[in-house]
Amino acid sequence: MISFCVRRACWMLFTLWVVFTVSFFLMRSVPGGPFDGERALEPEIKLLFEKRYNMDKSLHEQYLLELGNYLSGDLGYSFKLSDYTVNQVIAEGLPISIALGLLALGFAAVLGLLAGIVSAVFRGTWGDVVLMLVATVGIALPNFVIAGICIILFVFLLPLFPAAGWGDFNQLILPAFCLGAPYAAYIARIARTSMLDVMSQDHVRTARAKGVGPVRVVMVHALRGAMLPVVSFLGPAIAGILTGSLVVEQVFAIPGMGSHFVQAALQRDYTLAMGLVMLYTVLLYSMNWIVDMSYAVLDPRVQLQ
Amino acid sequence: MQLTPSTPRPKTFMPVNARNLFAGLLVAALLAAIVWASLGSGLPPADFTFINSTEVKSVDPQIVNGSPEGNIVNAVFEGLTRWHPETLEPIPGVAESWDISDNLLVHTFHLRENALWSDGAPVTAEDFYYSFRRFLGPRTVAEYAFQAWYIKNGRRYSQGGSGVVPGDSVEVELNLPVDAVNTRRGKLLLGRLVTIENAQDLELRTFLVEIDGVEKKFLATDDQTAAESQPPAGVQWCRQVLLDFREVGVEVLDSRTLRITLENPTPFFLKLTGYYPLCPVNRKCVEQYGTPQWTHPRNIVSNGPYNIQFRRIRDRIRMVKSQTYWNRDSVQLDVVDALAVEAATTGLNLFMTGKADWIITVPPAALRILLAEDPPRKDINPAPFLGTYYYMLNTKRRPFNDLRVRKALSLAVDRDEITTTILAAGEISARSLVPPGIEGYEGQSCPHENPEEARRLLAEAGYPEGKGFPRIDIMYNTEETHQTIAELIRKQWQRELGISVKTRNEEWASYLSSQRQMQYNVSRRAWIGDYADPNTFLDMFVTGGEQNNTGWGNAEYDELIADAGRERDPEQRMKILQQAERLLMDEMPIVPIYFYVSKNMVKPYVRGFYNNIQDSHPLSAIWINRENREPTEFMRGRP
Repeated sequence: MISFCVRRACWMLFTLWVVFTVSFFLMRSVPGGPFDGERALEPEIKLLFEKRYNMDKSLHEQYLLELGNYLSGDLGYSFKLSDYTVNQVIAEGLPISIALGLLALGFAAVLGLLAGIVSAVFRGTWGDVVLMLVATVGIALPNFVIAGICIILFVFLLPLFPAAGWGDFNQLILPAFCLGAPYAAYIARIARTSMLDVMSQDHVRTARAKGVGPVRVVMVHALRGAMLPVVSFLGPAIAGILTGSLVVEQVFAIPGMGSHFVQAALQRDYTLAMGLVMLYTVLLYSMNWIVDMSYAVLDPRVQLQ
Repeated sequence: MQLTPSTPRPKTFMPVNARNLFAGLLVAALLAAIVWASLGSGLPPADFTFINSTEVKSVDPQIVNGSPEGNIVNAVFEGLTRWHPETLEPIPGVAESWDISDNLLVHTFHLRENALWSDGAPVTAEDFYYSFRRFLGPRTVAEYAFQAWYIKNGRRYSQGGSGVVPGDSVEVELNLPVDAVNTRRGKLLLGRLVTIENAQDLELRTFLVEIDGVEKKFLATDDQTAAESQPPAGVQWCRQVLLDFREVGVEVLDSRTLRITLENPTPFFLKLTGYYPLCPVNRKCVEQYGTPQWTHPRNIVSNGPYNIQFRRIRDRIRMVKSQTYWNRDSVQLDVVDALAVEAATTGLNLFMTGKADWIITVPPAALRILLAEDPPRKDINPAPFLGTYYYMLNTKRRPFNDLRVRKALSLAVDRDEITTTILAAGEISARSLVPPGIEGYEGQSCPHENPEEARRLLAEAGYPEGKGFPRIDIMYNTEETHQTIAELIRKQWQRELGISVKTRNEEWASYLSSQRQMQYNVSRRAWIGDYADPNTFLDMFVTGGEQNNTGWGNAEYDELIADAGRERDPEQRMKILQQAERLLMDEMPIVPIYFYVSKNMVKPYVRGFYNNIQDSHPLSAIWINRENREPTEFMRGRP
């Protein structure tokens, strides 16, 4: 276990370095820089601007300087949100994205499991067909389409929720739902398949034969076995939800990481974009790591190598 | 025999306690997230909420240059003058009155006694002196510094070492320790510039300055280098060498009197002093915290109708009425929220559900429907303002170097088709660069559409029916309306002239860069006037101007723009500017397409909100009257 973690940590550092290097050079190879305005700057002022952000140095020197800053934990000032450091932007935005992501995950897990179990139990009925149809549609529809439909339904036709914004609990429901919906659909399909699999196993038949009530059979005997594939999907789902909120955050005007990321890329905010790319890498990597470790905890047959 | 019902343990994959722990952790995290997310729900609603489109770059008046930033800076700071909310005429701000010399060059401002900073200190002439100097100082890197170049020698001061010539009085700013607050200025040595060595190389330029009869050499560098390394022999490090600020036309007569001397008679100067970049900042605050920390809500000291209570990045800026503002009795809204909502549709949703009282734009598709509603809506009233949408032609490239081709392209654009079929808000077809609505100025038009004539000109240029005409493309920045317009113009040109046209979109930053490097044939461009004067449009096209990316230049045009700057008689000045525009429209480095209209939506209970040609709406003039049944100021002129 320990050697596994050490190895993983080393790989993580290596991955971060590669991502850093690739993003650094990619970002600077795109035409247009952060100081290109509609009006050209005076050469003197442009030079001062570039000096302030070390952009007067060669690309190679800039790279080493910025790498050094990252190693010391200083992500620098945002180019375009001049009043803030990248650390401040992340400190404000990350908890928002995490809160939204967790709620979305809650939606995904609860709705997905419920739908999966119901359609497995009532396999072949209309209910099953409808639920799986909805799940397929949920997977196929991008979340901004779901967001549009939800806004029409629950903001305008049935005014239950606010249209956008952040700060109130009820402002969270719609975006979390839209963000979680595709994952709920996946979970529903996975849960259904594994439920069907488990329900045909011997121990479930035995339990039935001994007269255990149908609810108990499903919720206790079958569900336990059916959970593992769902759990193993949660890892990628968490990473996907945390990093996949770009569009939903824009539509619902949520000041999380996704909004910052889109704007940073468009405005050539090198420092902020880099900070967010690195953050997303860390998130994605550590989520996968945690999932791998949780396998070992959850299923003794899995050996970490 | 009795069977003991012993349930066989189901095959478990995970130990029960670990599984419970896992589930428990998930649920706990979920609950924590919900609790955390609803913590903000204690936020009391604002009296007035508007959608400010994007997160502001900063609230530092001297370094910003966008209209969302302008909305905030205007609410938080106040310049010497303000703009009347309806007519936009300059009205007293921090200055209660002013005198203008007969030659229109010297403005003497008398500051009011009761103008206070939010920390209670009086706003003085020294504050303006400090702020203008800061605005012009190259180290502030103010992108908008050219707004103060009308002040005598302002341009030369802001050009730093490039703005001085031997013989000038100069100030040499010495380096400070690396850890000094970044807004502090180093010690200043005043002297006379003798000569500049290596003048071409910004990095190696050495200034020989005579100070108190002794000649010394200075080389500019940053504080880091100055602290770490030795300068070349016989040379001293300094931060910068620039024109002595005493040469610049800003002078403190006493703490309540400020005298500003201009380069040329500038009829719109009193309006400029009310423009946000010329707002004062508080020296004590700026120098104590440094930039950008001084702009943080807990540090900032300001002098406008509102104070910033808090900021949440890409969410909102909450402003509360200032208790020290001299005119606080006339400010009606106590709490104002500026929301940074990027998506126009989201903004509209918030407006429609009553969460916003003013939105500054409406998506075109929705606009069409809203304007067609019957009975007419009481919250939308598009009105013309000073903005022109045009196409630039790259006159350095063939075939656009041929005037006949440029004319043919303009003659073949059916502008009315664009304004009626694509644009929904009643935009006006443009045949001149300067929009209508500027008093005393008559726009000079290019010829009306005439496909026949266009074909004739094109044939004359050697491309009969478009034969032999190179394949050209129209570049625009990624946006739906720009794309639709480019597509339509592409069709019109193909249809009328038989030439082959492509469209090419680039997102904003690459688009600007392509324009700068003149990597385009035809490019979409727009300009919103900074002040209500034709000059803000026309001076863009002087030879080599920073915004003239057409490659076009004309000495006569440059001369006319310069003459207009020197002219004292307002009527004569307008005539000169008209001649300049006439010339521009005859030479056609650009093809005007349409004039913008504002697309505000304002709730019917909002009063004191006026449509005007700069689409400028000071918050301090707005009040709320929910019982209001009358058509508001905003709805005037709408049938």
